[in-house]
Amino acid sequence: MEYLSLKKEIIDNKDFKKLREIEQFLLKQGLRLDKNIEYTIAVYDEDKIVATGSFENSILKCIAVDKNYRGMRISNKIISELVAEEYVRGNNHLFIYTKPDNYNTFGDMGFYKVAQVPGEVILLENDPCAVGRFVENLKKKRVDGKVVSAIVMNCNPFTLGHEYLIEKASKESDIVHVFIVWENKSVFPSNIRYELARNGIRHLNNVILHKGKDYVISSATFPSYFIKRRDKVTRIQALLDIEIFTKYIVPALGITRRYIGEEPFCDVTAIYNNVMKEVLPLHGIEIVEIPRFSKKREIVSASKVRELIRERKFSQVKELVPDSTYSFLCSKKAIPIIDKIQNK
Amino acid sequence: MKIKKAAIAGTFESSDITVSIQPNSENEVSIRLKSSVEKQFGDQIKKVILDTLKELDVKSASVGVNDKGALDCVIKARVETAVMRAAEETKFNWKVRN
Repeated sequence: MEYLSLKKEIIDNKDFKKLREIEQFLLKQGLRLDKNIEYTIAVYDEDKIVATGSFENSILKCIAVDKNYRGMRISNKIISELVAEEYVRGNNHLFIYTKPDNYNTFGDMGFYKVAQVPGEVILLENDPCAVGRFVENLKKKRVDGKVVSAIVMNCNPFTLGHEYLIEKASKESDIVHVFIVWENKSVFPSNIRYELARNGIRHLNNVILHKGKDYVISSATFPSYFIKRRDKVTRIQALLDIEIFTKYIVPALGITRRYIGEEPFCDVTAIYNNVMKEVLPLHGIEIVEIPRFSKKREIVSASKVRELIRERKFSQVKELVPDSTYSFLCSKKAIPIIDKIQNK
Repeated sequence: MKIKKAAIAGTFESSDITVSIQPNSENEVSIRLKSSVEKQFGDQIKKVILDTLKELDVKSASVGVNDKGALDCVIKARVETAVMRAAEETKFNWKVRN
């Protein structure tokens, strides 16, 4: 086989012409170009794109090699480059979401399986011991009981609605484990959402708070570039997240029940809830859906609170959040967040 | 040298090796090896890595290795680079061998 002179190039985020070429190339491979990309490289044969790969934060994605150029170890070049750049940026715990068929390719490059939804998606990470460490850390917080419940929440910010759901679970369970979804796409950063939740549950003595971190999947970070049907994306993400929950979190903590709030507004959450109702009972986990807390006949939601902040109606915000959240909003630390909400 | 942050050197190409180094809270050197020739050369690869770390006076590190059939000189070079990056060291001692 003649040696091809292939050129590797870093694509600037603002090089819209080249990015569009990459988008076209990916479409031909049955993939999409994700909207949120930090770094992209492409391999060219003369002027033709033959392969590409990108990442956003710690997630490698949109990786593809033209089928006429397969078997030439081009994917090795792409992944090597992406991984090296990730390390330079301080990210050494890396993830790939891809079709299960690609397991062997990435497995060869030091990526290990975390969980999969057969035929749909597989989650890989570059450290074979990371999930084990996560489980060991969870076990340290294990408390046995007849009813051990779990709740997963974003809390952007922590409202009376969140407090209500947690209090209900707390009354009806021996122990409640609350996981805060960890991603920085929400206007309130993860560590602040965690702090507000921590302050909001102080009065409850059977609630343990956890940082969702890498193993509670947020729809904000779930890449869907390889899923053909957009209407299936949320369902597949939910199935993967629940697979991780039942495979790792449930046995580590002895979870017997999961609480969710009814979701009348958000399609994504509604789909999620339905998938949970379908799947969790099959693993012996009870699912309990609670109607949302309302005040003056209006449901108290974090999006409502953010809307009121944007409209500068702070006296109304005060009615919908616990004192701990309100005093944060009045503090200096909240200023950049409030600015961001008001200037969107 | 003290390992201050996570760093990586190498590629996933055939005959190369990737060496990823991170600080180790247990104050020892631990090596996790994945190699295409693990059964034949696993011990030899680990020896080269440990010898190189010793030469660089690295007493504590968590090393992750993905080997695709690299020769000893390549292993040594990649370990040296990863250590320099992880220790944020820019002055390198280019030894000339006689």
